Amino acid sequence: MSNLVELNMGPQHPSMHGVLRLRLKLDGEIVREIEPIIGYLHRNAEKLCEMDYFCDNIVYFDRMDYVGAMNMEVGFLEAAEKLLGVEPPERAQWIRVVAAELNRIAAHLVWMGAFGLDLGMLTPFFYCFIEREKILNIFVELSGTRQQYNYMSIGGVYQDITPKIIEEIKEFIKQFPKKLEEIANLFLKNDIFLSRNRGLGVIEKETAISYGVTGPILRASGVPYDVRKEEPYLVYDKLNFDIPVSQKGDNLARFMIRLEEIRQSVKIVDQAITKIPDGPYFNPKAKKSLMIRLRGEGEVYARTESSKGEFGVYIVGDGGVKPYRVHVRSPTFKNLSIIPAVAKDKMIADLIAILGTFDLVFGEIDR
Amino acid sequence: MSLLERLFGVFSFLGHDLGYAVSYLIQAVLYLIVIALLLILMIYLFRKFMARLQQRLGPNRVGKFGSLQLIADAFKLLGKESILPSERDNFPFVVAPMMVLIGLMLAFVLIPYGSLYWIGSITATHSAVSVILIFALMAIMPIGELLAGVSSHNKYALLGALRAVAKDVSFEVPMMLSLLAVVMMASARVSTPLDMESLISAQFLAYGILQPLGIFLFFIAMVARASYTPFDMGESDSELVSGYSTEYTGMRFAMFYIGMFGTILLGSTLLSTLYLGGYSGPFSSSIGPIWVFIKAIILVLISFTVWLSLPRIRIDKFVNFGWKYLLPVSFINLILVGILTLGLGW
Amino acid sequence: MVEILEEKKGKDGRPIFVIKKSDLLEFMRQKKQEGFDHLSLITGVDRKDYMEVNYHLYSFSKNQYIVVKVTTDNLTVPSLISLWKSADWEEREQYDMLGIRFDGHPDLKRMFLPESWVGHPLRKDYDLNNVQYINMDEYGEDYATFDPGDGW
Repeated sequence: MSNLVELNMGPQHPSMHGVLRLRLKLDGEIVREIEPIIGYLHRNAEKLCEMDYFCDNIVYFDRMDYVGAMNMEVGFLEAAEKLLGVEPPERAQWIRVVAAELNRIAAHLVWMGAFGLDLGMLTPFFYCFIEREKILNIFVELSGTRQQYNYMSIGGVYQDITPKIIEEIKEFIKQFPKKLEEIANLFLKNDIFLSRNRGLGVIEKETAISYGVTGPILRASGVPYDVRKEEPYLVYDKLNFDIPVSQKGDNLARFMIRLEEIRQSVKIVDQAITKIPDGPYFNPKAKKSLMIRLRGEGEVYARTESSKGEFGVYIVGDGGVKPYRVHVRSPTFKNLSIIPAVAKDKMIADLIAILGTFDLVFGEIDR
Repeated sequence: MSLLERLFGVFSFLGHDLGYAVSYLIQAVLYLIVIALLLILMIYLFRKFMARLQQRLGPNRVGKFGSLQLIADAFKLLGKESILPSERDNFPFVVAPMMVLIGLMLAFVLIPYGSLYWIGSITATHSAVSVILIFALMAIMPIGELLAGVSSHNKYALLGALRAVAKDVSFEVPMMLSLLAVVMMASARVSTPLDMESLISAQFLAYGILQPLGIFLFFIAMVARASYTPFDMGESDSELVSGYSTEYTGMRFAMFYIGMFGTILLGSTLLSTLYLGGYSGPFSSSIGPIWVFIKAIILVLISFTVWLSLPRIRIDKFVNFGWKYLLPVSFINLILVGILTLGLGW
Repeated sequence: MVEILEEKKGKDGRPIFVIKKSDLLEFMRQKKQEGFDHLSLITGVDRKDYMEVNYHLYSFSKNQYIVVKVTTDNLTVPSLISLWKSADWEEREQYDMLGIRFDGHPDLKRMFLPESWVGHPLRKDYDLNNVQYINMDEYGEDYATFDPGDGW
């Protein structure tokens, strides 16, 4: 006979980042068993993709990681363009890098603010969101929408980047590092924050690899795995940036890795924005009117580095105008599976803090 | 002349007993209104202050600069349906928010406010043991929180109540010890050191300067009692949804909300009375309440800054902190004050 | 010795090994010893008359990527949970979406949909017109039903 209290946390809960449901067995304040239950945002995007033309599938990817939708589009197009044999022109590739990296900054800022909220810090949330808002305003100029951009399309981007937008991005990049340090100081000069996160939720290197964890969480555990370096896509091989790695594997390490990644993304945007070459932004082979006639056969797996980790898209084509099978390797889906191992025998407050560092976005986990 | 006597002067035609009864009633209603207005002002101040700190505007729609926002909120909460969970323990569930509010309001009455120049003394009631009475009344509020947590039959609420109790137990002892130091120091000068007014009159120099450790301890205890962010484990909205008030809605929830802000104001007023000389200050005979108010508001703003910039402490760390650091420090404080009182004859 | 039925290059240049289902566990163990320590994803593909399961492996140390492909006609494939912990959720997902049963999986239940859901949505013969409703019972368990009158 066990004296454990069963607590059902979620799917509606302030810090479940959407609709995660955790079935906890509590021994007082201490969590003894964790069973994540997911699927409350399941839309079966993979089935929807099978039912639509290649060019229409981008909208489903926008709605996966809705805080970093540009990265999702890049991920899908890497696969789809290889399958369909359409190469985006160079200008489009540079624009995609700029958009993806700006969106990575925005996604990490959202995470940082939400992580502060998880720990009970109200103020940094607003500082993060003010900066994110500036990026979203640039995206509004660029694509017309704030979050679900549908900006990139097969064979390029939907709309050219104008000198005015380039100026705006340059302006943002100029003022952002100072603001970022301000935000970082809100966290890192706070003793309570440090003492709550240092040494908490340590993920060993072997455990992380065995669970298939990728992204900042894996890099915080000491594996320097970043797809942008290992298998460069777009024009990442022409850019100069570093991959931050930490050996500690705790909450604070994950925070520092993401913080450093923002700085690296700033560096990338700073380089890329000046290097955008002239030329067409759209491959004429995939002209809009003909796009639905594009046919693909064979199978393609493309991995990209989204803000959460290795985002992979596996497309099987049967020679038709619609994909035969689409499978998405969602990084957060894999990352979440390690939670029962990491947060076991911790207190509820620690469980929330650990969950906070995992950067969960449920559009992507449930798909 | 005090406020009560002036009121009696108006109602003296009713005879001695009835006249005093009516004047007490009116005085009580006046206090209730003034305290409620003060709280509304404070919540408005909090929201504006929070907005300034977070680089946003804050309430700015209802009234000039959003000054009527809180009135609108109050009407909204009054109009909301108060949903009662079907599994509740009815009586404690309904009584719990009232206990929080009543404990708060009664504690306000015992604080000496000094005299305003054309009304006279506006201290409501006087007691030779008012310090003990205030802390006894403040002790009602955690019971209300505990009742709310247990009677909701909700696991989050229960966990929140347990945390709140653990927190209250671990800071109460240091708080009382630092209070004891104040009373001890005052007992060298006045014959009734348990009376708040004589505590103030004993402060030839503000006790906050003489007892820096004491004011620090009392401030932490006050923050913990009011249970806002560094110590809001009882509610901890990101972990336990809303802690003991999870199942409360509408006006019943508002009572807990007001209770929290009220405790901040009460704690600040108490701190200013015990350590900062309360109503004393230049022209204190005519603007005493204003001094109390100014001192309290400064403390309130300090506590808001603490609230908005710190993350939540884990409950076991706080309990550790309370017993391992706060308690020894409060004993040290007591000894230091003892030496000061005996050795220097203060 | 593991017999490799076919070795080809995918359209993206990744080597694809087609092997027999019975050899899967042995082959994967070999590959893991060779340094392929990252099981990236498991994808089932419904080929109408048979099922195809693709395993994507990556080696952090060698920076190599391979795809292992097996086919099954009776919807069962050996589970890889003894080699990689990440196989747990991946296999549950494929079971949920395609109904592929992974032998040796200790807790093979649906990942996204409730247990009582009828059918596996990513199958080509899944009937999309059959609307199912998800409800929650008083113990917090989800269940699916065809009858919209129940509990609404």
